[in-house]
Amino acid sequence: MSTRALIAAVGISLVVALAARSPAYADEEKNFAGSAQLDYHLVPSEPGAVAAPGPSTTFQGFTVESALKVAVDISDHLSANVKVCYGCHGFELDMAYFDFRFFDELDLRVGRFSPTFGAFNLRHDPANHMTSDKPLPYDMGRMLRKGDWHNGVLPSPFPMNGAELNGTHWMGNVAQLDYAVYAATGFKNDTDPNPTDFNLQESHLPYYVTSDPRPAAGARLALTLKAGSAGDMTLGASWMSGTYDPTNRLLYVIVGGDFALRIGHTALRMEYLIRRQQMDTSNPDIFKYTIAPVDGDSFTKQGAYVEIEQPVTRALDVLARADGMLRIGNVSNAAVGSGTEAAAYSPLTNQSWVGRETLALAYAIERNFRLKGSVELWEFSYNDLAGRETELSFHLGAVGSF
Amino acid sequence: MRKIVAAIAAGGLSLTLLGCPGGHVEEPEAMALPPDLRADYDVFALRCSKCHSLARPLNSGIDDDEFWKKYVERMRRQPGSGISVEDSVPILRFLHAYSLQERAKREQRTGVLPGGASFVEGDAAVPEGGR
Repeated sequence: MSTRALIAAVGISLVVALAARSPAYADEEKNFAGSAQLDYHLVPSEPGAVAAPGPSTTFQGFTVESALKVAVDISDHLSANVKVCYGCHGFELDMAYFDFRFFDELDLRVGRFSPTFGAFNLRHDPANHMTSDKPLPYDMGRMLRKGDWHNGVLPSPFPMNGAELNGTHWMGNVAQLDYAVYAATGFKNDTDPNPTDFNLQESHLPYYVTSDPRPAAGARLALTLKAGSAGDMTLGASWMSGTYDPTNRLLYVIVGGDFALRIGHTALRMEYLIRRQQMDTSNPDIFKYTIAPVDGDSFTKQGAYVEIEQPVTRALDVLARADGMLRIGNVSNAAVGSGTEAAAYSPLTNQSWVGRETLALAYAIERNFRLKGSVELWEFSYNDLAGRETELSFHLGAVGSF
Repeated sequence: MRKIVAAIAAGGLSLTLLGCPGGHVEEPEAMALPPDLRADYDVFALRCSKCHSLARPLNSGIDDDEFWKKYVERMRRQPGSGISVEDSVPILRFLHAYSLQERAKREQRTGVLPGGASFVEGDAAVPEGGR
């Protein structure tokens, strides 16, 4: 509680301080923005769903995600961004960084930020996508049976402390090449005696200062081609790797590819992510299966989505999305983040998958205020305790931005 | 059976979406823009809606050209923005005209006579995109 209160106080103070006009920097340009989304998630097919997030439950009920952001252009070369969010993990400092841009091709970013990975994270704010939730590879706490899956492949956003060199280079007026390399704190699990997955709660909150000295590293390369006034196409590849345990022994590697095509106002987007991660197998008793002699200490989690977004009228947008995840590897029966080796039933097998089809509508009541509704059909490779393989869920929400 | 229903629904949706021409969202208000500004608006609407809704810039309250210049520069440098240096010229031209109109509307509301130019007349002429 005290940690969260401190984070909230520091973050809000930073936003307010930057937003406040300072006579000493009267020529600074500040842009103050924010958003808030209230969403109700109804899961009629799962009577066990509860209105409180827990480690092994489906989260049914109201959620709110809100954010305040200030961007300051201090000079032609220097800018700053501070963003405070309230949502999944309580208060979170999503951004607090400076960009020093030598020129378009070379920018130094230092502070706290989500390193450049994939295409979706740039739109992770609920005001910037048409659905109430995120695609499964980037899910953070909204998916059904989230406790079984420990969220997505790379839950978004993923703010970390670090430094990034990035840049953009235009080739004529038709091709834009983007690139980034970074070193950042990465994901963590210091809580469990035998870590088998990220502890996302830990990774987001107590690691503003970390005792783990070895940063994660990553890079991204993307090419955008413009087709005149008709639209554009982007093809990108991303990579991130690091260790997540206190002794820096357990390695994870995340690789992703993305493709986006816009023709007029129609957008087609697809991404694929894969995470390969080592687990601490020094206590075989916590695993569901016998540790295999080859690669028995690791699992892979893959995820992908494809979606098409189409404005139907001036105020109404339709989005159709198909996404899913596949996890291959041994399964830990110890609850991740519990700090103990207490057994917790995991229904996952050594090859489990989840698929989802979503149809979503977003209706703009006015420019800055939208209603969002969606229906989601879920299919799992395994039965839950009640013997169900399929689920149906509904989202109804509203999002405002300024 | 479920897969058949899903396939039919997906097929129907695809046909519906394909039936929506790309320019379907050309807002009636935007059509009222003068022809020279209309082309600028089209560049703005296409490029600035890739990562966020148009409401972000349109309702930002910014009405200073220098501010817009830095704002658009920052956006231009975003990865995959698709905003080239050439694109920023019509975008800034539209934002300049839009700012003048917004300023004039504010002055009208506060009882001060409009001091700035307006590219169209009346509230209905504002591009109310919401996108």
